[in-house]
Amino acid sequence: MSLSLHAEDGLDRGGAGTPLLEARALTKHFPLGRGAVVRAVDGVDFSVMKGETLGVVGESGCGKSTTARVVMQLIPQDKGEMLFDGEAVGSSALSLKDYRRQAQMVFQDSYASLNPRLTIEDSIAFGPMVHGVPKSGAILRARDLLARVGLDPARFAARYPHELSGGQRQRVNIARALALGPRLVILDEAVSALDKSVEAQVLNLLMDLREEFGLTYIFISHDLNVVRFISDRVMVMYLGEVVEIGPVEELYDDPRHPYTRALLSAMPSMDPDNRTMEAPLAGDPPNPINPPEGCRFHPRCPQAQTVCSKVKPALPPVGGGERLAACHMEIPGSGHSRAPALEDAA
Amino acid sequence: MTTPLVAMENVTVRFKGAQTVHAVNGVSLTLEPGKVLGILGESGSGKSVTLKTLLRLLPERRTEIGGKVMVDGKDVLALGAQELSDYRGAVTSMIFQDPALALDPVYTVGEQIAEAISRHEKISRREAMKRALELLELVRIPSPERRLKAYPHEMSGGMRQRAMIALALAARPKLLLADEPTTALDATVQIQILLLLRQLQRDLGMGVIFVTHDIGVAVEVSDRLAVMYAGQIVETGTVRELISNPRHPYTKGLLAANLHGAKKGERLEAIPGAPPALNEPPSSCSFAPRCRQAEDACRTGLPPAIRLGEGRLVRCTKVETPLAPA
Repeated sequence: MSLSLHAEDGLDRGGAGTPLLEARALTKHFPLGRGAVVRAVDGVDFSVMKGETLGVVGESGCGKSTTARVVMQLIPQDKGEMLFDGEAVGSSALSLKDYRRQAQMVFQDSYASLNPRLTIEDSIAFGPMVHGVPKSGAILRARDLLARVGLDPARFAARYPHELSGGQRQRVNIARALALGPRLVILDEAVSALDKSVEAQVLNLLMDLREEFGLTYIFISHDLNVVRFISDRVMVMYLGEVVEIGPVEELYDDPRHPYTRALLSAMPSMDPDNRTMEAPLAGDPPNPINPPEGCRFHPRCPQAQTVCSKVKPALPPVGGGERLAACHMEIPGSGHSRAPALEDAA
Repeated sequence: MTTPLVAMENVTVRFKGAQTVHAVNGVSLTLEPGKVLGILGESGSGKSVTLKTLLRLLPERRTEIGGKVMVDGKDVLALGAQELSDYRGAVTSMIFQDPALALDPVYTVGEQIAEAISRHEKISRREAMKRALELLELVRIPSPERRLKAYPHEMSGGMRQRAMIALALAARPKLLLADEPTTALDATVQIQILLLLRQLQRDLGMGVIFVTHDIGVAVEVSDRLAVMYAGQIVETGTVRELISNPRHPYTKGLLAANLHGAKKGERLEAIPGAPPALNEPPSSCSFAPRCRQAEDACRTGLPPAIRLGEGRLVRCTKVETPLAPA
């Protein structure tokens, strides 16, 4: 039985050049009452190509989890649109139900994600049954998936979530996410709650499954080492906005946005002879209720100038390729003294 | 040789209940005054329980503690109620992972710190508040006068963690126990708190035991490291020795799992399986079921603690004993 459905049933409609997911100006605000609004996601654009893994990093309140929930349509966006393989999500061409079969998510808390009163094979079979697969077939597929995520079905299929360890439960969640043969899997801090030795096992599993089923991942994590390891491209978020996006090695080796630089240099050095001597930033990330005017990072930015507090920087390409950084120092003629001159841009 | 600030000898901790849990199984460690020891381990390794034993924070009725715990010349396990409350805070104090739970929500930060000071010293309230202000300055909380009157919920996570550190330092302890104090913080805040702790430790000459699951964090703050697995210390040494030349297979696995220098696209050398349940005291190497190098000897008896040098121990049968000095 093949679990990888999309190659055969012609689901790959747009062809290799069309991004699997394209988010345009996604916006999600949460009103708090009395006029206060949490600008959780504020005009986010990105695309994920077929078969690639997009890492998303940022600190608490940057909007990475809200972005994931909007992409999954667990919460509707206020503004903006999403194209899945070239078709608008929720349109007549791609209904929400069809989209949800092709996009699945794995959450951080492996226990809260599973129904405690269902055996794990029932949990995994639940989705396919909702989508019309008869129960016997769904259970067969669930057992097959359990084997593929490294859990012997004979031993584990009839167990309840509380009878498993955290690493095993997360394997079940991954199997359940794959039960509908999705093309896009969103992993929201999916390995963060696991112990390091178990985390490595699950990362290996995720890489194997990506290859086996031709999956596309959006991998959200606060752990910059893990993101570097698993991602092809990385998107850095700050206070509801994308500040930088680009191929993983370029971005880690030569971060262009001052926030990306700070985030990377806040990583522990792992070298006792070369310890971090100075914190790259002071204070905590501000909360997204009343984000600063202009560039949202300017109050904490060591290179901020007048223009940064007045004008919001766009996300222009830097250094060719697909590198983008929303910083006035990268925008020709922006008025920042370190910006490239206008002529160079032509 | 100086007297160590902390000397634990063959400490065992058992939790009694429907099932006995053997949380700590023969831990011996020493800490010299003014030094930082990092204890590295995963959940259930016994690192936090070891730390709490030093402050006698475990529930007395359900806990059986064996062995010997000496801190600053005091036999911690023999302290009476009054001695214990004099000991807590003044000799040894502790900071926790979640300052929102460790601080009292109904008192201002200043009141809490002042109370901790006057618990140990005869001092006027005014004087205690003045000292509280100095402590907030010491931990570099911006606009400290204002924060003195703030409640914990009015502060950000990083600021609360600083306030908790100030509270822990109120009675000038000689030993500070830190239980994952930066785990809940964002990366850019974590490094600020680590640097602050490092500086305070140096300036005040405190001994620190820092418990964490994060190797990077441990390397950033510690002089020496102890790696724990299933309630035992499996390897100790200086940070440099453990990072550049780990000898226990578990330490090696942990370093590989940290992804530092991992090659993209290549499979990680993951440690298979999961840590053991601790329903029985160990009778053989606890790591053997997950160890690729395990042989019969590992499964039949407890591994010897092999001494590789001053303060450098490895609990593994497969590590060769260095030749006796001629």
